Amino acid sequence: MVNKTVVNYILDNCGHCMKCVQTCPTSALTMTDGKVVINEAKCLNCGRCMRACHYKSLQAKGSSLDAIKDYDFTVCLVPSAMIMQCSSLKEAEELFWAIKQLGFDVVEDITATEGQLMQETRRRAESGEIDTVLASTCPVTNRLIKTRYPMLLDHVLPLNYPSEVAAKQARKIWKDKGKVGIFYCSECEAKLLLAKHPYGNPQFEVDHALASVDILPLISENLGKGRLPVTLCREGLQATSPSLMTQKQTDLIADGFDKVNDVLDMEEFGIFDSFRLIHLFPCFNGCVGGHLLWGNSYVVKHNIDALTSERNKPPADWPIEDFISDAFNITEEESLSFAEKMAFFQKVNQQLDQLPGYDCSACGLQTCRIMAEEIVKGNRSLDDCHILNSMRRRNRE
Amino acid sequence: MSNSILHKEYTVIRFDYARAGKVSSDIKKTLSTIGIPSAVLRNISVASYESEINMIIHAYGGTITMDVFDDGRIQLIFKDDGPGIPDLEKAMTPGYSTASEEARNMGFGAGMGLPNIKRVSDEFDIKTSEEGTTLTLGFVVG
Repeated sequence: MVNKTVVNYILDNCGHCMKCVQTCPTSALTMTDGKVVINEAKCLNCGRCMRACHYKSLQAKGSSLDAIKDYDFTVCLVPSAMIMQCSSLKEAEELFWAIKQLGFDVVEDITATEGQLMQETRRRAESGEIDTVLASTCPVTNRLIKTRYPMLLDHVLPLNYPSEVAAKQARKIWKDKGKVGIFYCSECEAKLLLAKHPYGNPQFEVDHALASVDILPLISENLGKGRLPVTLCREGLQATSPSLMTQKQTDLIADGFDKVNDVLDMEEFGIFDSFRLIHLFPCFNGCVGGHLLWGNSYVVKHNIDALTSERNKPPADWPIEDFISDAFNITEEESLSFAEKMAFFQKVNQQLDQLPGYDCSACGLQTCRIMAEEIVKGNRSLDDCHILNSMRRRNRE
Repeated sequence: MSNSILHKEYTVIRFDYARAGKVSSDIKKTLSTIGIPSAVLRNISVASYESEINMIIHAYGGTITMDVFDDGRIQLIFKDDGPGIPDLEKAMTPGYSTASEEARNMGFGAGMGLPNIKRVSDEFDIKTSEEGTTLTLGFVVG
């Protein structure tokens, strides 16, 4: 589990409007001393704060292509969601050729790995080893379940991300090439974390995560000038969007952050216990709706036929042990006793009674409850509440 | 003797499908804010949802109360205004259901209600007569 955030804050741009603070689903953001502070332990990397920001003050950046020269041999992995932006196989081949011109030795699609992961997920869901499988290849979902729905953690399969599995295979295949650098064209902010760089997560096989939209201008310069032969795996491409996935009676798919939360809220009551497999996509329209892609996700999902009708490859057959990772299922020890938690809860409730309860965020905290918690912890005082202050002023006048 | 340190009361209305689950959501949210361990909270959530739905589809509505005791016990009481369960033994049998077609079409009434509630609860007591049914559930935290 990586407790890091991809969100970078640029103070100079900030309009102090509190939109980011208000929109955060885990209350990870606060405005402290006129600056946005992100609690990395809480941040899901869902990117909602970045999209709420009118001032481009919150951004997520990938690695720089300059890193290519640090390696003897470089491999660039391209996920299905990015390939789906192409409306024909020819366009995909031109994309691959143009990516290679950035300086990579090899450009590889990971569609077959994504296809195998989808098959393995279904196999495990139907084997019944877990009652209702909550399946996702998204780090946001995994962190969301961990922080907001910990009672559902045992519904998550111990499977790794497709980029990681593909990177492991690439490392085996090119092991004689000296110092091999593996790059990944990320479709969204959250997957920028699934690499050693730029966010410093040494446990990952991928060396550098690139923000796809940021390298697009460089790619565009070489588009249409050449083609690199590509054969794609339909099952992998299908895994990028809920409307493309084959669905059985016992499957359920939720896309979009609110829908994912709704389903998880209901599953906490056991409402979906008769379902075997629940796919969760925090992005609307699935991974093709990733915010580092350039296409219109409503439109691009129809590209699948054009990409696979000419030729098609089956899902990969990598060793299953390379798919296993139990990193998401580890939970921290409880540090407080029931009595301590209850005492804190009641102190917070007492403070909450003193506060206006508008959840206006003017103090820099998302809600009055969080303000009350901070007062109990000794980090803030009632004087920090703008509403109370103005009420006191008015009473004096 | 343990004391209740948090007490909440809710009213449930018959056939109010639109708000079915709202009480359980509030119970879950409150206990989750306190920081009740997730294994216990899952059991409480499943039991309270199932019991709340029962009051809406089978009974004439009623009240739900939650008490958190200082010794770490949580008690939920579901008290409805009738008509009572005619054959409690059958109702406790997995798969047995008297739910209407209407309720089943909405995904309720699979006949696993009471057996499921009993399975996830640490304490389970049910008293029923024509005047109503009182279901008392207890959960031990930690």
